[in-house]
Amino acid sequence: MPYNIRGVKFMAIKRFEEIPHTADWSFRAFGEDLRALFENAAHALFALQGARAREHAPEIARVVAVSAIDYEALLVNWLTELLWLQESQRETYARFHIEALSPTGLRAQVFGAPLAHLDKIIKAVTYHNLEIKQTAEGWQATIVVDV
Amino acid sequence: MITKQNFERITDYIWQVPQNFRGDMRAPARLYASEELLEDALQDQSVEQLINTATLPGVVKYAISMPDIHQGYGFPIGGVVATQAPDGVISPGGVGYDINCGVRLLASHLRAEEIVRQIKDLATALYKNCPSGVGSEGSVPLNAKQLDDVLEQGSEWAVKNGYARRKDLQRTEEFGKMPGADAGAVSQRAKARGRDQLGTLGAGNHFIEVDHVAQVYDAQIAERLGLFSEQIVVQIHCGSRGLGHQVCTDYVNDFQRAVREYQIELPDRELVCAPLNSPEGQTYFQAMAASANFAFANRQVLAFHIRRSFEEVLAGIVKDFDLFQIYDIAHNMAKVEEHDIEGKRVKVCVHRKGATRAFGPGSDVLPDDLRDIGQPVLIPGSMGTASYVLIGTAASMAETFGSTCHGAGRVMSRAKAKKEVRGEKLREELAARGIVVRAGSMPGLAEEAPQAYKDVSRVVEVVHRAGIGRRVARLEPVAVIKG
Repeated sequence: MPYNIRGVKFMAIKRFEEIPHTADWSFRAFGEDLRALFENAAHALFALQGARAREHAPEIARVVAVSAIDYEALLVNWLTELLWLQESQRETYARFHIEALSPTGLRAQVFGAPLAHLDKIIKAVTYHNLEIKQTAEGWQATIVVDV
Repeated sequence: MITKQNFERITDYIWQVPQNFRGDMRAPARLYASEELLEDALQDQSVEQLINTATLPGVVKYAISMPDIHQGYGFPIGGVVATQAPDGVISPGGVGYDINCGVRLLASHLRAEEIVRQIKDLATALYKNCPSGVGSEGSVPLNAKQLDDVLEQGSEWAVKNGYARRKDLQRTEEFGKMPGADAGAVSQRAKARGRDQLGTLGAGNHFIEVDHVAQVYDAQIAERLGLFSEQIVVQIHCGSRGLGHQVCTDYVNDFQRAVREYQIELPDRELVCAPLNSPEGQTYFQAMAASANFAFANRQVLAFHIRRSFEEVLAGIVKDFDLFQIYDIAHNMAKVEEHDIEGKRVKVCVHRKGATRAFGPGSDVLPDDLRDIGQPVLIPGSMGTASYVLIGTAASMAETFGSTCHGAGRVMSRAKAKKEVRGEKLREELAARGIVVRAGSMPGLAEEAPQAYKDVSRVVEVVHRAGIGRRVARLEPVAVIKG
């Protein structure tokens, strides 16, 4: 639905939606281009876990670089790298800026803060039924994660 | 869309999708289920996932799933696939992320009525002494050398370091130490995730549960195992924690290239695999075995804390608060085993993903005192419901590569369970039924509500009637500890 701020029309873009899965979690991420798709999939990862940052903590910036054999594998590796940072650094991330993206490599800056709370931890990002596809609105990917 | 009409009914409890159902199948796909459980399985993608596993190169006889089948990723949960060794494939996704997730059953010499007044204190002590929940750290921090020792020695490490008794190992699958484990095949990243997690329960569907033996079905076998009516016993359900998750992640990623190299076509990228005798297959097996050893040691350290908790609460109140081990089983593992197939002894790699080894009487890999009766099998139910002790049978050896079911099996998504059930209310309901709950997360508790699972009794009924596991005893919970 379009909304209006000071006379300028914006479109509300859905970043992701949860899809029912019997045992684990599945979500569909959206993006107007592939960069946005990858960024929005990262948002989904932290939102689904109910990640909360420590209040009033200074922002932390990290550089993430991953490689893979194709876009699908790259998406898995990108999300897996963020989970690794979450666990090893005990941080959560709220902003993602993908600086470079090709079918075999990605470089990004991610911004976050020390982790205060997780409702639920995602153990791993799977390749099950993983598909990145172009739609009339942009791009979408369906991802199943192990919880 | 797969329907009931696509199945051939082999017996009352065996349903088969013929190999010609799909062009890429290399064997038929078999489902052990009652008609009702088959219909449950057709509600999601479980059966399609089962059929996908029948496409794996080297699959022997048929791909199998148990009556607790539910949708997973790659393999269905409840899947058993044996591939020809040494040139058939091994699939990291066929083992899953929680390598050697399993169940341990400890038994006391106490009757439930003797400690009725102490159950709440016992639950509190268990919750305090057994680290659980998201990001929990263990009580056994390990340096790099110690972690490598755990990875290569499993429960043996726990004996050497005072966390286990030698007798515990006799009652553990593989005697608590997987052959072929190599800490060098485990990435530094996986080791970093595991270093402070030994002796932790984790979250999700993992739990510690104090039960009483509500019914004995086979008095002779129960007596041989050390079980009696109204006895207090304790179950531990957990696995290899972040270490195992990372090992699976690493190898599913590496194998994306391997399938191209070996020109293996698959219907799902999560099924990636490599020949068992290839360098990739061998390295994964070494890493998986090392992760399995971490899980055996993890359950062993938790058992140590449980024994300590019993002593803390019950010393001076009852004469004998000791706990001895009935058995410890894995339900996410790939193992090289020998089975009789069409009159020949054949070496196969058996993937059990949410399925339990259930070796029958006479198996030479069982300890001397169990060889004549078969292997104990532990089937945990959903929270607040019954669990079962079974015994392996000759039919499980003949039909299912010595395998049976592993639990209840989900029927409701976690999101739906959280919408429909409130954790606090569930805790009150369980309390009203005399079940004490200690849990770190109420939404986490809601996700594991009993109504999100199949009725474990119906699942066990099928394996019992099909003959691939025989009922020995039913356990009912008195206290549940969750992360």
